[in-house]
Amino acid sequence: MEGNGQHGRMSGRVIGGITGIYYHPSFSRRSYLTTGRRLADFPAALDPLLQHPQVVLYECPPATDELILLAHEPALIPQVEADLL
Amino acid sequence: MEAMGRVAAGELANAFCFIGAGGHHAGRNFFGGYCCFNDVVIALRQARRTGRLRRVAILDTDAHHGDGTRDLVAADPDVLHVCVCGSDYAPPEGTKVDIAAPDPWSLNGSPDEAYLELVRQAFPARAERFRPDLLVWYFGFDTHRGDYGDLGLTLAAYLGIADVMLETAGRVCGGKLLVVLGGGSRTDLATRLIPPIIAKLGGLAHRQPAATG
Repeated sequence: MEGNGQHGRMSGRVIGGITGIYYHPSFSRRSYLTTGRRLADFPAALDPLLQHPQVVLYECPPATDELILLAHEPALIPQVEADLL
Repeated sequence: MEAMGRVAAGELANAFCFIGAGGHHAGRNFFGGYCCFNDVVIALRQARRTGRLRRVAILDTDAHHGDGTRDLVAADPDVLHVCVCGSDYAPPEGTKVDIAAPDPWSLNGSPDEAYLELVRQAFPARAERFRPDLLVWYFGFDTHRGDYGDLGLTLAAYLGIADVMLETAGRVCGGKLLVVLGGGSRTDLATRLIPPIIAKLGGLAHRQPAATG
């Protein structure tokens, strides 16, 4: 996953003016309705945007169970895992 | 989560979030409609835990009602949730609002313009009164002509909503805006619609694709 050489997290540096694009490859493996990638040629479809220094592609870090439990009951996690989607 | 935290902290101006299987049909103890976990509400609660924000105003323009999000924020006075969907609901308390989308089959004019006007009436003034720390736009393109929630919309409507959200965010919360991808099943539409929205967020010109479909 590459943007313009700035992909990934930037350790707390203030970079106001940047538009972040967040994505994770797993989104193309288990995805909303579409099978596979949601953009036909992702991430190539974003290449023209990523030529601009103010647009940066980031890979989402994984969400832990602890984070999920901020909003959901524990029983939901195994139900989601068991769902075929 | 990281996107909301970094926009709230001013480390990013704004962000566009792709999803795997998000978000707005997942409630406290239920999920459905291809939504597993409620990404926006989890992110909001995590951002609050870290002290980065408290009040959020959400506009949901996915074709369907954001029932999971509503379930999770129903008792939260620090969330404005405006959902453009299939019904009208505006309680006196005024922070959890449903707005019925225009029926494209009974319109005389353009579905794009009718929908956009509805958004202009439904969201900016409420957000201004609410004084949020950050705006969230659930951007569903299932409302596009030919997708499963067809409301006759085209790219022009989504670009117009993006303008409304950017302008509103600029007025009420220092431009802090998170766009979260919602419904929409057609890869060809995603490829045509998403890059111009991101270009808007970045303040970039984007070559408009030829109008089809």
